Amino acid sequence: MSKFQYPIVKAFVSELRRIFRDPGVTVIFIVATLAYPLIYKAIYWNEQITNVPVAVVDLSNSPQSRDFLHKWNAAPDIQLTYSCTSMAEAEQLLRDQKVHGIIYFPRDFARQLADPLGQAHISLYCDMSSFLYMKAIYLSCNNVMLESMRNIQIDRYENMGVDKNFAWALVQDAPYTETALFTPTGGYGSFLIPAVLMLILHQTLFFGICMLGGTAREENEESYSFSSLIGRASACFVIYYGLAAILLGFFPRLFDIPHIGSIGDILLLIVPYLLAIIFFSLCVSVFIRNRESGLVLLISSSLIFLFMAGISWPKEMIPDAWWYIACCIPYTHGAHAFIHINSMGASLATTGTEYIALWILTLVYFVLASILFYVRKRQNNVF
Amino acid sequence: MLIIFKNIYRVLVRELHMMFARPLYLFASVGVMLLSTFFFLTLMKGGTAENMPVAVVDLDQTSISRRLIHEMQATPSVDIQLITNSYPEARKAMQQGKIYGIFVIPEGFYSDLVAFKRPQMDFYVTNSYTVGGNTAYKQMLTMVNLTSGAFQREVLRKKGLTDDVIMHRIQPLAIEGHMVANPWGNYSVYLVSTILPGILGLICLMLTIFAIGFELKSRTSHAWLRAAGGNYTVAMIGKLIPYTVMYLILGVGCHLILYRFAGFPVYGSTSRLMFGLMLFIFAMEALGITLIGLLPTLRDALSIGALYSMLGFSLSGFTYPQMSMLAPVKALSYIEPLRHYYLIYVNEALMAAPIENSIPHMLALTAFMVASLCVAPRLHRALVYWNYPLK
Repeated sequence: MSKFQYPIVKAFVSELRRIFRDPGVTVIFIVATLAYPLIYKAIYWNEQITNVPVAVVDLSNSPQSRDFLHKWNAAPDIQLTYSCTSMAEAEQLLRDQKVHGIIYFPRDFARQLADPLGQAHISLYCDMSSFLYMKAIYLSCNNVMLESMRNIQIDRYENMGVDKNFAWALVQDAPYTETALFTPTGGYGSFLIPAVLMLILHQTLFFGICMLGGTAREENEESYSFSSLIGRASACFVIYYGLAAILLGFFPRLFDIPHIGSIGDILLLIVPYLLAIIFFSLCVSVFIRNRESGLVLLISSSLIFLFMAGISWPKEMIPDAWWYIACCIPYTHGAHAFIHINSMGASLATTGTEYIALWILTLVYFVLASILFYVRKRQNNVF
Repeated sequence: MLIIFKNIYRVLVRELHMMFARPLYLFASVGVMLLSTFFFLTLMKGGTAENMPVAVVDLDQTSISRRLIHEMQATPSVDIQLITNSYPEARKAMQQGKIYGIFVIPEGFYSDLVAFKRPQMDFYVTNSYTVGGNTAYKQMLTMVNLTSGAFQREVLRKKGLTDDVIMHRIQPLAIEGHMVANPWGNYSVYLVSTILPGILGLICLMLTIFAIGFELKSRTSHAWLRAAGGNYTVAMIGKLIPYTVMYLILGVGCHLILYRFAGFPVYGSTSRLMFGLMLFIFAMEALGITLIGLLPTLRDALSIGALYSMLGFSLSGFTYPQMSMLAPVKALSYIEPLRHYYLIYVNEALMAAPIENSIPHMLALTAFMVASLCVAPRLHRALVYWNYPLK
C-alpha cells in the first residue's frame, strides 16, 4: 500500500514546493486570481449605461414633440443634452462624440399627428461605436414611442365616436408586462463577471501549469511517471479548490454580483471543472519547451475561449465547426454551468448536461495526459 | 556617421540570426494573428444575432391561443423552440440555456379577449446572456405588437377600410432608426475592428519584452551591446527593426483583410486609420521597452505585460463605454494604448471626423514612445551590469 502511495505523495509535495518557490507562478496562481476579479468589478462597477447624451433637432417645434421629448428625457438611459436648429449642427456634435445619438422631428410632425389619417415620423440616429449606446437610446425611445402611439390611437378612435374601452381593446387587445428573470437589476457587469471569473480560473491554471512544465524542462527536472502526473494534478487541485471556492462562492456575495445559486452545487461543480482544466493543461504542457514559449498563444487563447464559448455571442449563432472545438475546452461547459447555477438559480441536476460534459472531459484528458506522459517517459529513457 | 549605420546593420543581422534560431516564438506570434483573424471573421454567422430560441407557455389552451402561437411562429426572426402548458418547464429550459425568453398566454385569455377585457400577457427574458437576451426581448416586443396590430387590422377591415389607411391607423407614429456607420447593426464589424488590432498590439508588447528580456535572461546582452559598438540607441534600433517590419506587415495585412476583403466600412480616411494603427504598434513596442526597463526580469515583465494588455480590451471602452466607468478607472483607461487606437478608429472609420479629433490620441500614442526613453538609463545599466534578480 505505502509502496504505491509514496511516490505520489512525494510528487505532490515537490510540486507544491515548486509552485511556492516560483514567484512567477505564485503571482499567476494567487495574486492574479484574486486581483483580476476586483479589477473587473471596478471596471463594470456602474453596471448600467445611464445618461447617454443625445442631441435634439426639433423642426416641428410643437407641443407634441416637446411632450415626447419630456417623457423620453425621464428615462434614466439617456439625457437630452443639446438642442440643435439643424441636422448639420447635430451631426457635428455626433462626430465630435459629444453626443451618441440624435433625435429628429420633421417639420410636419404635429400636422401628421393631427391628421386622423396621417402617419408621423421620428428619425433616430445611433452611434454604433459601442452597441450599448444603441441599446440605451433605441430601446428607451421605442418604449416612449409605443406609449405615445397608443394614446394617439385612442384619441383618434374616440374622435370617431368609438367607446374608450373598446378603443383600448382595439389598440392593444392584450397588454403585456415584461420581466427580467433571475437578475432583474443586472447590467453588463452582472452578465460578464461570472463568465470572467470562470475564465480567470481556467486561464491562470492553464498558464501556471504550462509555466511549471516549461521551467521543469528548462531545469531538466521533469518527470513523466504516472505518480508524478497524479501528484502534480493533486497539488494544483488542492491550491485551486480553495481559490475557486473563494472566487465563485464568496466573491459574488461580497461584491453584489448575481448569486442566487446554491453554494453546495457550486462547490460540486468546481470539482470536475478544475480536474478537466488540470488534465487539459497537463496535456498541453507536455509540448511546452521552455517557460516563455507560446506565452502569446496562451494569452490570446483567453479571448478565443471566451467568444467561442457562446456567452458574449450567443452559441446558436456560432458555426458548428467552432462549436465542436469549443466543446473540447473545459471553459465552455464550466462557464455555462456556472451561469446557470449562480446567475439563474438552476440546480446541478438542471444543468446536468454541462456537468456530465465536464466529467467526460476530465476522463478524456486524464487518459490523454497519461498516454502523453508515458510516451514522453519512454522517449526520455532512450537518451 | 557611417559607423553607426554599420553597427545598426550588424545588430540587425545578429537579431535575424536569433529570430530564426528560435522560430517557435516568432511563428507562434504570426500564427496567433492569422488564427485570430480567421477565428473572429468566421465566428459570427452574418454578424447579426437573430432567431434566438424562445418558449411559449400556453395556459389558455383554446383555439385562439393556438392561433396566436401560429401567428407568432409565422413572424420572421422568431424561433419558438418550446410550446408548453407548464411555466416551470419553460423556466427550466431557460436555466439550461436552451431559450432566452418566455412568453406566457394567461388562462382565460380567449374569454377575456372576446369580452374586450384585455387579458394580460407576460414575457420574461434573461439578463444572464446579454446578446441572446436582448435579441429575444426585441423579437418578443415585435411579436406582441404585430399580433396586437393584427387584431386591429381585422376589425378595421371588416369596417371596409383599405390596407393603406389601416396601416396609418395602426401605426400613427413610427421611428426610423439609423445606425450611423454600421447600418446593418453588424456585431462582427463592431467587435473585430478593435479586437484584432488589440491582439496585434498584445503580440507587439509581448514579443518586444521577450526580444530584450531574453538577452537579459540568457546573459547575452554584452554581445548585443558589443555588436552595437557599445551604443544603447544603436543596439535598440538594430534589434527592433526586424520586429517592427514584421508588425507593420501584419498590421497592413490585417487592414487589407478587414477593410478590403471583408468589406468593413471606412467612412473617413483609410490612410489616417492606417497611420493610427502604425502609431499604436509603435506605442505597444515602446510600452514593452518601458516594462522590461522597469522590471528587467523576463518572466515578471511578461506576466505584467500580459495582465496589462488583457485589461486594454475592457478599458478601451468599446464594449462597455468609458463614460459609464468610475473616475479612477476612467483615468486608468488613458494609459492603455488600445483606448487611443479605438478612438482614432471611431473618428476615422465611423465618424469621418476631421483630423483635429484624432490628433490628441495620436499625440497620446506618441507619449508612450517618449515614456520608453525615460527608462533608457535603467535598461542600459541592466544590460551592462546585470543588476536584477535572474530568476
